[in-house]
Amino acid sequence: MKKVAIVGAGQSRYGDFPDKGIKELFFEAYKDMISSVDNGIDPKSIESAYIGNLGSGGFQLGNMSALVTEYCGLTHLNTMRIENACASGGYAIIAAAMDVLSGAHEVVLAGGVEKMTDVSGMKQKYWLGVSGDTEYERLAGTTFAGLYALMAQRHMHEFGTKREQLSMVAVKNHKNGAQNPKAQFQREITMEQALKGPIVAHPLNLFDCCSTTDGASALIICDADMAKKYTDTPVYVAGFGGASDFLAIHDRVSTVALEGTKRAAAAAYKMSGLSPKDIQTAEVHDCFTIAELLAYEDLGFCEKGKGGQYMEEGHTKLDGDRPVNASGGLKSKGHPIGSTGTGMAYEMFNQLRGTIQKPARQVKGAEVGLIHNVGGSGGTVAVSILRR
Amino acid sequence: MAHVSVPMYWRTIPQRYKLIGYKCKKCGAVNFPPKGVCKQCQSSSEFEETHLSGRGKVHTFVLISAGGAPPEFAEQEKAGGQYPVAIVELEEGPKVIGQIADIDPKEVKIGMPVRTELRKIYTEEEVIRYGFKFVPA
Amino acid sequence: MMAVGISGYGIYIPRFRIKREEYAKAWGSFSAAGVTEKSVFGFDEDALTAAAKVTRRALESVPMEADMVTRFALATTSAPYLEKLLSGTVLVSVGIPNSAFTSDHTSSTRAGTEAMLAAFEHVMATQSGKAVVAAADAPKASMWDAVEHAFGAGAAAFVISSDNLIAELEGHFSYASEHFGERFKPKDDPLVRDLNVKKFAEGSVVRNTTSAGSALLKKLGRKPEDYQHVVIQQPDARVPVTVASRLKFTDAQLASSLVSKTLGDLGAASVPVALASALDAAKAGDRIMVISYGSGAGSDALSFKVVTDKKATVRVQADTERREYIDYVKYLKIKGAIQ
Ligand SMILES: [Zn+2]
Repeated sequence: MKKVAIVGAGQSRYGDFPDKGIKELFFEAYKDMISSVDNGIDPKSIESAYIGNLGSGGFQLGNMSALVTEYCGLTHLNTMRIENACASGGYAIIAAAMDVLSGAHEVVLAGGVEKMTDVSGMKQKYWLGVSGDTEYERLAGTTFAGLYALMAQRHMHEFGTKREQLSMVAVKNHKNGAQNPKAQFQREITMEQALKGPIVAHPLNLFDCCSTTDGASALIICDADMAKKYTDTPVYVAGFGGASDFLAIHDRVSTVALEGTKRAAAAAYKMSGLSPKDIQTAEVHDCFTIAELLAYEDLGFCEKGKGGQYMEEGHTKLDGDRPVNASGGLKSKGHPIGSTGTGMAYEMFNQLRGTIQKPARQVKGAEVGLIHNVGGSGGTVAVSILRR
Repeated sequence: MAHVSVPMYWRTIPQRYKLIGYKCKKCGAVNFPPKGVCKQCQSSSEFEETHLSGRGKVHTFVLISAGGAPPEFAEQEKAGGQYPVAIVELEEGPKVIGQIADIDPKEVKIGMPVRTELRKIYTEEEVIRYGFKFVPA
Repeated sequence: MMAVGISGYGIYIPRFRIKREEYAKAWGSFSAAGVTEKSVFGFDEDALTAAAKVTRRALESVPMEADMVTRFALATTSAPYLEKLLSGTVLVSVGIPNSAFTSDHTSSTRAGTEAMLAAFEHVMATQSGKAVVAAADAPKASMWDAVEHAFGAGAAAFVISSDNLIAELEGHFSYASEHFGERFKPKDDPLVRDLNVKKFAEGSVVRNTTSAGSALLKKLGRKPEDYQHVVIQQPDARVPVTVASRLKFTDAQLASSLVSKTLGDLGAASVPVALASALDAAKAGDRIMVISYGSGAGSDALSFKVVTDKKATVRVQADTERREYIDYVKYLKIKGAIQ
């Protein structure tokens, strides 16, 4: 069977950029991606492009992938927008990998872009809330903070997970993000700050929640057989999996696990022939602090219910045995919805090649890394395992 | 606004006003709200309508503050302060999400008994959307 | 002739209360005579949600299944829509058959007894019919207008039929006349106005209520002392006292139904909630005189004889004592009255 490799990866800065729209943001990531290809790449050799995007405030829902790629000078592409809410980028990677594996195309772009800050606060909440179950969850008066708070409350009730353990995720990720020059929030926060944030959806406070972010990212994915033409150090997509679940959490078997994560991870592990113990570092979907603890459990890094303890024991810190979200995660690096999944791959591409800009954030000697991208509250999940 | 069109909302009136559940003829699980294929056995599309009691217990809950309220509920939060939303396990089996009304938010506990009653959910296009909320039983 | 009457009843008083002192702090005075505090609907409640609740409670008190109901009459002066059938919301939510004949009574505070008489007519005409009357109200006026001070919130429903009677209807008499300038809503404005020509307005109340009341006493060959309870429209807590004394009823006869002292003016639900309060207190054999009033103007008088000691599951007093006090700022926010 064919194999797939990543030979280039780029990312715009993440943050709030009033002077840039989706075209400019995507172009910034695109240029970064082109220049990251060690031996250079002719843009005309790119045959396909899959662009993750939720909606960017509704300004160009139709034909947006053609819009952002033609701005980069690419008008010959088999291109489409990929939408699975916050997992759009993760699914753009899957779509690109499948395109290459099918033999239809050899050189494919997987990217993502989102512009969140052009619209009013109320419209942002509107857009952030359209990816859950609109009929029941939304009309019960919740946004995603509320839904993850429901999971957090139950997790605390069933497993004794502590409020402090949630805040440890925020503190850790901000510490990492402070070393990431492309992160939205490049500053550390204290435990006291993390515990005392204004309540958003009790038990979650402002520091348990990721922000709204503008940003873009892009990858060059190709047939592994031709990867060495572009670089001596490609990163291989060893396995991937996408899995869905009931959209509304009240329909799910469990309110303390994302079955979508378990199923997507199982598929990725199976395809790669690897297991959780082989994962040396991971970028997981910490849209809320509880989501990172759920990810530890559902990806198999620790037992169900032990996510808080696993955090507290320090395994996932930069100096731990399995650093998670060395980039700062969604929490500190930022969460430009459609770009988040491909942005994780950008980070992992550099981690596995040892090309992280600031050594403080470089996970030493990692060869295998996992990226985990959740759509909404778990209605869709994309997992990929990357290997040097 | 979460745009839920009038016809879309109207189609859910049997659930929102009357708590009509759908009992799977194969495995007996009550599906509420309805599914095309039973969410329990995932192998049957034949259901029998059943009128749920609206009684249940709080499985988990959240207290929504200003930052967590969607635009169509912002006014409610501003007028009344934080409001509780719960996933309730109904006595017939299914879990369903809804607000808990008529209670001091500090009093909400996992396991507490609740029952449904008709309330105003929100207003869109000047049309009041009524539906069930939970109240302490 | 077949006996018809009340076979079940249910009430609902919302949890929020505001005290007269909150108004005094905000405005320097409080204009609702004799009212010490009043009830307030929550942000997500209105006449229809309260009507659904009392309809269910009334049916449970019989007990009777909703699918037995053949007639449903709704009364309110605070309809959430100026045009739209209102009773359908309650009918569908409670499970009353779509084939039941419904009517919405909305043009004055007399609507509660209008709806009751419509229900009695249905049962008398059909003999086997079962009717439910739900009166739910929270009148609304501008916060700048003193008439607003009295406005509370509450609801009551009655199951009207010819069997399982709690109280039998002995007779009724109505009186209508032309009057204006007291409580009204002008075209295109949903807020209640009152020109505040006090003696003029009081004259209308006294004339219509005493005309209906004394005519009914005469028709039945009764004297006021034949009654243990008298229920009179309560725009505040003073008007019913005035009307009672004009008709030679005593304060003691009024005591069991004087809910406005702690609930305020319940509009079209005033007499229905007050009647439920009297039923809560009544013993088998007691007689209750009921006199409503609606501006514009008219009155209905109804006479009941209580035939059992059976009571509703939720008493007016119990719901009245379940309360949470709010300040005037929260009151205005809930009412959406800051303009
Ligand atoms: Zn089934």
